[in-house]
Order: sequence, then C-alpha cells, then structure tokens
Amino acid sequence: MITFPGPVSALVTLPVSADRDGIARVLGLERLARDALPDVRATIPAFNRLLIEGSPHSWDPVDVEARLSAALKECVVKVPEIDGGDPVSLPVCYDPELAPDLEDLSVSAGLSVAEVARLHSRTTYVVLATGFAPGFAYLGDVDPRIAMPRLRTPRRRVEVGSVGIADRRTGIYPAAGPGGWRLVGRVPSALFEDPTERIARFRPGGTVEFRMIDRDSYEAQCG
Amino acid sequence: MSAHGVVNRPGPFCSIQDLGRRTGRRAGLAPGGAMDQRAYLWANRLLGNDPAAAALEITLGGFSLRFAVETVVAIAGAGCAATLDGLQTGAWRTLRVQPGQLLRLGYGAVGLRAYLAFPGGLDVATAFGSASAVARDGLPGLLGRCIRPGEPLRWRAPGHRCPVRRLPGELIPPVSDSLTIPLVSGYEWAEFSRDDRMRVFDSTWTVDSASDRTACRLAGPPLTTGPRVLDSTPLVDGTVQVTGDGLPLVFMRDRPTIGGYAKLGSVDPIALDDLAQARPGTPVRFVRAEPDVLRSALARRESFFGIRDEG
Repeated sequence: MITFPGPVSALVTLPVSADRDGIARVLGLERLARDALPDVRATIPAFNRLLIEGSPHSWDPVDVEARLSAALKECVVKVPEIDGGDPVSLPVCYDPELAPDLEDLSVSAGLSVAEVARLHSRTTYVVLATGFAPGFAYLGDVDPRIAMPRLRTPRRRVEVGSVGIADRRTGIYPAAGPGGWRLVGRVPSALFEDPTERIARFRPGGTVEFRMIDRDSYEAQCG
Repeated sequence: MSAHGVVNRPGPFCSIQDLGRRTGRRAGLAPGGAMDQRAYLWANRLLGNDPAAAALEITLGGFSLRFAVETVVAIAGAGCAATLDGLQTGAWRTLRVQPGQLLRLGYGAVGLRAYLAFPGGLDVATAFGSASAVARDGLPGLLGRCIRPGEPLRWRAPGHRCPVRRLPGELIPPVSDSLTIPLVSGYEWAEFSRDDRMRVFDSTWTVDSASDRTACRLAGPPLTTGPRVLDSTPLVDGTVQVTGDGLPLVFMRDRPTIGGYAKLGSVDPIALDDLAQARPGTPVRFVRAEPDVLRSALARRESFFGIRDEG
C-alpha cells in the first residue's frame, strides 16, 4: 500500500510480515525507489515500511505512485538479496544481577537461565529498524521459545547497555532511560561511550551477533 | 584562537542551529534545525550568508553577548527585544558592532524564538551534515547541549562588511494571535472514528505549555478511538501523533524518526515556523490541506532562499 503522509513524501507498507524477510524486501524497494524516483532526499526503512522524501521541485504523486507500484511488485514476488555487511559482534553478560527479567523469563519459558542465554546468543540477528533513540536497533527474530511481551509498565530507568526482549525482537539500550523491554543481559557500557560510534553502529539490514561473556570479563570490559 | 564574542547569558534555551540533518535519519538521529526556519533563513539572508550557515537560536530572551571584534550580525525572529549597549535596535536587520559592545535580547511582546546570525556562520563542528544541537541525541560538544554562560564563539568571516540592511515591514512575518494550520491526512487517519475525524477539524486546540523543540502539544477535547499501531512507523516533518491521553501533538525539529502511536497525518511544513513562535494558550485550528499547494509553497521558499537540493 502506498500513501502520502506529507506533501513531499510517500509511505509504502509492504504486505509482508515485519521480520527479516520483511526488511530485506523493504531494502530492495529502497534501492529500486532511489533509482526510479527523481531527487530522493531521504529514505527511512523500518520493519515492513519505507518512507521516501522527495523534493518539492520535482515531486509528482501520480508519477511516484506508478513507479513505486512497479518496484513494489518486484520486491513482493521474491525476497531481494541484501548485503548485511560484516556482522556487528557484541559481548553480552547474561547475569541475573545485571538483567532483572532474566529469571522471570526463564521461569515463564520453562528453561534454565543458561538455556535462555544460549538461545538468545546463538542467533545472528538482522536490524529491522533503527530509531526510538539514536543508536537503538530493533533486532529480529528472537527464538520463539524466549519471546515475551514487553512489561505492562515500563521501568523508569534502564541502564545503558541493557539487552531487552520484546516479543520476537531484541535490542540494546544505547543510553540510560525509561524502557519496557524484558532485560536479559548487559553489554559493557564502554561500548557506548563514543557517541558517533554508538549512533552509527547499526544500519537497517545489517547483522548482529552476541558473544556470551562471564561476569569477570564483563567487569573488566566496563573498565 | 581567541573568541570573536562571548555569550554572557544564554537565556533559558539557546543553541546552535542550521537547516538540520538528513543523513542521520536512517540512524535514528532527529532532524534538528532552527525551529522557525523562515526567521533563521532571513537572518542569514540579511548578511548574505549561505542559507545553511550555523546561527544561534535564542528562546524567550534573557540573552546577552559581548563582542570582541568589529563585525556585523543579523537579528531575526520574534520573542526578543534587542538592545546594543542599552539602545534599542529592533530585529529583522543587520547591526554593526564594535569590540566591547553588549548585545542583549530581552523577553519580547510576541513569539518565542529569535535568531542571531554571524557573517559566514558560526565556526563550529558538524556531525552527520549539520551543526544543529539536539540535546536528546547525545552528540559530542555543542551538538549535544545548549550554550552556557561564558561560551566563546567564533564565526567564519568576522571582517565581512555589509551595509546595514532592514527587512521591509511588509516582508516581516506576522506572529498571529491564533493559527490556522493545513493538515494533510495520512498514516492511521482512516482508522480513527468518524467523530474523531470531525473533532480534529471542528475543535479549537490550544498550544500547551509542555511544548518544546520535540513536539508542540495541543490541549482540547481528547479523541477517543485511535487505532493500535503494531510497529513504529517512519515519521515525516510535522507528523501529528495522538498519544495515550487522546491529545494530538505536532512533532517539531527534535522529533524522533519513527513513532509508535496512531497518527493523523502531518501539518504544512511551513506552518511549523508559526507553531515554533506560538506561545502557550495560542488557539490552533486545523484545516484540510491541498498537498499541491503546500508543495508549491515549499518549492518557492527553497528557490527564494537558495536552498540546494542535497541528497
């Protein structure tokens, strides 16, 4: 579905699920749209949607819709290849003292804490969207056995580096602040100190891996 | 390197702004940029600057700057009563200053934000293509914070000479007591109830005092049945989002790039300049927008101010 949420923008919602295949199709569409449309100023891919912003000097909604429809068909028929690049590899400590929801989640999943950690860290995740805060990435897809809805009432403060789960997604809080994801691990805070690196770390379609580290190694890396 | 001027008092919220950033949006960075772009663009225009030259955005007055060099600056916008060494100067003009002189911007009669532009633009670092400060985004240095008392400033062409220019009265944008804002319906608009959709246009909303650079919050009769949105959706400039309390907010320059609440559409991007100057309590009415009309107005503005089409 193609809509026009502003005078110089188009929002495409792909009729596919918002998972790793979904973002692959969105990124394929982004590539085609950048070639097919004149003067594209910005694009934002997120989950199964793509926002395209154009120039007021050349934007013609009828023409944009026709070109996007053609491109959309191509991406829905088959999942485009995406270049995920080298995976971003992050150390995570799965220690209940650092991850206040880890024990609850393991109980409700009927698994040991070690098993939850293993399932969480063995998947290579794909960045489905960035946003919420700069440097925050929505990663998918979490193993269904450890998927859990977010907290009903968000915490007032989540520590920087906290790794959370919300349904089939996982993500790392790049700064301390309020948040409602189930916290299952912690990445050493030192990895969030350089602002430019923190913000540029993830891009939609990129891949992310977690390396399990023990508490001593975590403390050492926090410096 | 010695300063060309020092901010003695920054006022409640003074920051460096330009036209904002596009390249960081994919990484979740706010667009940022001058809240009232029209006034900001005029300030640079009066000096003959590049339209994207970095300037100071001054909120609610309370500002003073002591110059260390002979130079020329431009003042534009509302919400300020400008004096140079105690003598009233007015805004929408360039001003020649001597070393040691003190420029003050006080609390004005109308509006909220004024712009102080410097020849060649402020000499500051940029990130992701812009010098705009967005406090929430945590970029380093002046990109992530307000101007502090005693902040030294340098600009790129302090020796620039230009005649004293004043914007003719008929070109000075008026600050209205009430706003009528064109709304492009979009996003989840069709999923709101018929009553809600009528209420959006039939109600008089008022600007709430909790408004800031992120959002202009509106008070009024709450809407009822905003649909549940499954995934955060990419936002356009001026997106109108309805939060849990049923009240709409208009996202401003420091907005997030994606939003998870139900959205009604977006306002005329040029109307964001008017909202940027709207004091709490200002009545706001929405009218249906003609996207073609808004697009033409945007194109005219970009051509007039010489804004280049960068990707």
